[in-house]
Amino acid sequence: MKKVLTLMLAVFTLLAFTAGCGTNTTDASKTAETAPQAKAEKVRIALVLPATVDDLAWCQSMVEGLKAVQKTMGEDKVEVVTSEKLGSAVDAGAAIRQYATQGYDIIIAHGSQYQSVLMDIAKDFPKTTFAYGSGFETAPNIFAYDPQAQDGGYLLGMLAAMTTKSGIVGIVGPVESGDAVKFNSGVQQGVAKGKADVKTRIAYTGSFNDIVGAGNLAKTQMSAGADILTGSSQQAVGAMRAVAENKGKYWLSTDMDQSSVAPDTVLAAQAYNWEKVVTKIIDLRKQGILGGQHLTLTFADGTIELKYNEKLADKIPAEAKAAVEQAKQDIISGKLKVELPKK
Amino acid sequence: MEGVMNSAIIISILATGIRLATPYLLAALGEMFTQRSGVYNLGVEGIMMMGAFAGFFATLHLGSPLLGIIASLIIGALMGLLMALVSVTFKAEQGISGIGLYMFGWGLSGLLYRLYVGGITSIDGLKEVKIPLLSNIPFLGPIFFNQNILVYTALALVPLSGFILYKTSWGLNVRAVGNKPEAADTLGVNVVRIRYECLIVGSMLAGLAGAFLTIGQANMYADNITAGRGFIAIALVYFGRWSPWGILLGSLLFSMADSFQSMVQVLGINFPYELAVILPYVVTIVALAISFGRVWAPAALGKPFQRGTRG
Amino acid sequence: MVEKIQHLEMHGITKRFPGVLSNNNVNIHLDAGEVLAILGENGAGKTTLMNILYGLYQPDAGNISLNGKKVKINSPSEAIQLGIGMVHQHFMLVPTLTVCENVILGLSKTFLVDLKTAKKQVQEITDKYGLAINLDAYVWQLSVGEQQRVEIVKALYRGANLLILDEPTAVLTPQESNELILLLKNMSNQGNSIILISHKLNEVMAISDRVTVLRDGEVCADVNTLETSQEALARLMVGRDMAPCRRDSEFFPGKPILELQDVFAKGDMGTDALAGVSLTIREGEILGIAGVSGNGQKELAEVIGGLRKVSKGKIVLNGKESTKMAPARIIEQGLGYIPEDRLHVGTIPSFSIWENLILKDHHQPPFAKRSLLQNRVIMSHSSSLVEKYGIKTPSLETPTGRLSGGNIQRVILAREITRNPVALVAAYPTRGVDIGATEYLHSKLLEARRNGIGVLLISEDLEELTSICDRIAVLYEGKIMKVMPVEETDERLLGLLMAGIVE
Repeated sequence: MKKVLTLMLAVFTLLAFTAGCGTNTTDASKTAETAPQAKAEKVRIALVLPATVDDLAWCQSMVEGLKAVQKTMGEDKVEVVTSEKLGSAVDAGAAIRQYATQGYDIIIAHGSQYQSVLMDIAKDFPKTTFAYGSGFETAPNIFAYDPQAQDGGYLLGMLAAMTTKSGIVGIVGPVESGDAVKFNSGVQQGVAKGKADVKTRIAYTGSFNDIVGAGNLAKTQMSAGADILTGSSQQAVGAMRAVAENKGKYWLSTDMDQSSVAPDTVLAAQAYNWEKVVTKIIDLRKQGILGGQHLTLTFADGTIELKYNEKLADKIPAEAKAAVEQAKQDIISGKLKVELPKK
Repeated sequence: MEGVMNSAIIISILATGIRLATPYLLAALGEMFTQRSGVYNLGVEGIMMMGAFAGFFATLHLGSPLLGIIASLIIGALMGLLMALVSVTFKAEQGISGIGLYMFGWGLSGLLYRLYVGGITSIDGLKEVKIPLLSNIPFLGPIFFNQNILVYTALALVPLSGFILYKTSWGLNVRAVGNKPEAADTLGVNVVRIRYECLIVGSMLAGLAGAFLTIGQANMYADNITAGRGFIAIALVYFGRWSPWGILLGSLLFSMADSFQSMVQVLGINFPYELAVILPYVVTIVALAISFGRVWAPAALGKPFQRGTRG
Repeated sequence: MVEKIQHLEMHGITKRFPGVLSNNNVNIHLDAGEVLAILGENGAGKTTLMNILYGLYQPDAGNISLNGKKVKINSPSEAIQLGIGMVHQHFMLVPTLTVCENVILGLSKTFLVDLKTAKKQVQEITDKYGLAINLDAYVWQLSVGEQQRVEIVKALYRGANLLILDEPTAVLTPQESNELILLLKNMSNQGNSIILISHKLNEVMAISDRVTVLRDGEVCADVNTLETSQEALARLMVGRDMAPCRRDSEFFPGKPILELQDVFAKGDMGTDALAGVSLTIREGEILGIAGVSGNGQKELAEVIGGLRKVSKGKIVLNGKESTKMAPARIIEQGLGYIPEDRLHVGTIPSFSIWENLILKDHHQPPFAKRSLLQNRVIMSHSSSLVEKYGIKTPSLETPTGRLSGGNIQRVILAREITRNPVALVAAYPTRGVDIGATEYLHSKLLEARRNGIGVLLISEDLEELTSICDRIAVLYEGKIMKVMPVEETDERLLGLLMAGIVE
């Protein structure tokens, strides 16, 4: 009796758990039964995400990029499946291998933590294209994509420095590594360029997904004087929400334009245009190039965009906007190079 | 650092510390009752997630954070009932069933959120309530008396839990059941019932702790919103040696360290961030290590109760 | 107030457990003011019978009547309501609660505990029977005798006028036992009925008015105490004549084989459980350690066996210092060890009998060659031991945990003695073992003594110690109070020493 019930609970738990973090077939459920040897022109893409499809940051930006690809190329031409909440590389590895076995053409593992598992798995599936990022290490059938987060950070930093009234810009970082360091370094340089006596204060929560912690850290930033804040990764949404509670405090978002949820708070955003990146990968694959390239996201090719919140346009001084736009052109033309932190 | 630690900063650190301590305090006091009755519930984290979701969802749709609080209490009670059914009635191994409950809560809260809300949605959560007169006291006022209602509730629960545990008949029964259930049983104390009650009360408090995260702090919901706080609450029960005041001390120590390290980072005081972030954990572990052993643990902790075998 | 129990009758009680007929058509009766002893060996069904009366079990057949009316007792709380109280062999007290809290536990129905009123009521009871207990003390602070008194007060506070005591003197010093006997007499004189479960003949003779003897689940005698004798009762209980073991007075001890010099060791709670113990055990003698358990006996056995760290002092085994030796080395040096917890420390309960019999030698010839177990050798060795030591078991493959206490003890004894030790530590070897097995264990220990083995026997049973030991040491709070030849001891002197009193 006891054993049966324990077993039932275990099964129930497992069901609930997998229901929560399992596979979602987005927009392509009708074609899910398609045999592996589908018609050549149909591209089958699998996406593996560390957080949720609706995190309003890193993951969601990629999901929306893929949706745009589907829309442009036609839903019958592109199939997309997604697995989310695979923060642990081991769990992700299992999902990636399964997708490869099922014959997906392109498997995108959307996180730098997937690099080593991908290197391992890709050898066994030489005909499959893999992609991951941020990163730069590649293999014959692995693309590494790499947003130049410091460029957008620089522009946002300039904007912040020339807009702040308190003279303090606060950063709510996740963990001091990878993209966050690049972005923060860009912001720091931008702030310094924008106005000499404005301070940048960087603090980290120590977690990529603790939105409550990020909210608390943002409150601390504000109590210590910051009136314009920014931050990266999934946790940053919590910080943005905390900023939105306060009048006269503003947020600059990265990865994705977050102004839709906090229209009175988000001044501007660095947004990644994944549609172009994915389209490029599809094209390269069609040409027979399965990987081996380091794909950077830049303002120059339009894979990074700077977006302003029209609703708050009057909060940004005209000269600030002009200076930022000028800097953007300089970055595109190569006149201005934002330095990367030396580490 | 040229006088950066002025009184406004210190007040901010302390007020934040008290706010941060609230979810730990609520969840740990709940777990204390559960463990005092002889059951350890490792599912606190999952219950907190469900409570966080329930509080968020009710506030979103009913427009009142107070109804959110009630919803989180109800969901907490149901989760506690489930845990009690599995670990008390069916005597499943408590560690396993607790982890099962955690995963169940995590999965279910994420699923419900996806099905019924989705995306990033914010709510109007609890507001700070200034206590008249008291909040005007210099220094102490802004620290203690300008917080939201759940902070006051958590602080009030400390002496209240002590009173219930040591001065009421129910508390006496709980202490007996957690230490020597056979003895309590022979005296007509219903061991199973007391354990059910403790698990339900404890889980209600865990649910409330979760609700504090969504309607008292973040004013939004995201998957895995608790980020390990439930497990820290369990550790704080051991740290506090199963006493409400010890748990208060532990929660404050941990949260003050956390609040302090955030401010140190923000002010740019030259201190490695990696060390700053782990400071609260280090403080807690060191304090735990210098306090001795498991001597104070309820003797029947983790042991399912079974009436005497053949004598 | 409940109706006072004038007459109890249990009629035709039968209770089966899987594979065992624990009670078979048992009848007992009892009147107010009477002390009834229920005597029987372990497994005779005494405790089952009392658990039925106390509502813990339901009988498969038979009935209980009080004052001529049939009653059905479904739970301990119903038994309490009828005026039946029970003092269990293992006390049912919550150590972390105070005496008063323990007494009122389960009775307080108000929201707040009214300790003041409760204390007054409890005080009245303790005054009535002359019981001295500090009501505010925590139970864990009390001696065993005091705890037992709390149990009695607990039953009386609940209005019990029929009190069941399960092996009440097993854990007491002789003085405490005497006090208990006086208390029980006083209680029966005041009109209370008492049922005493015991296998100790002297205590039955001292307290009871009448004795009902159980054997294999059936009543085999019901006699007035005044009309019987210890010998007659022993015969009834065991079903055959008994020849109690005595050591032969010839005593030729050899050289010292096991020496402890000023040994200190910490107990589980971190305090000094042994505080300067010095002992010398010589070849061919049995040295007894008397004392109320919990005074360092467990730790003493463990430091000798190498299972507990010695914090100060020195142990010498067979001429070599063994203070810091690993247990395996100590075994090699020739120490035999019969631990207090025979089921979990002495054996591995889920292992078969043959596995437990070779547990200490399975890695070496003749039982193993090049790491391979030699099945044929092991089986013939094991079956000869089973036969020689009279281990009652269905087969060699039976898990040891399924055997009775006495048979497990035989398995351990067989293993330890056939290893030809130079010294043997035996901690409570006969605790909970029936008379027949006790007699056998004693004869084996005496045989070991004749073979020149030095034996350290730890026991709470003074009769056991005085009948087979050559010398007796009394352990109190981790110190040796005195070591003396058995001829110079008597029960009163030992009792005083066990309570820490030196004349």
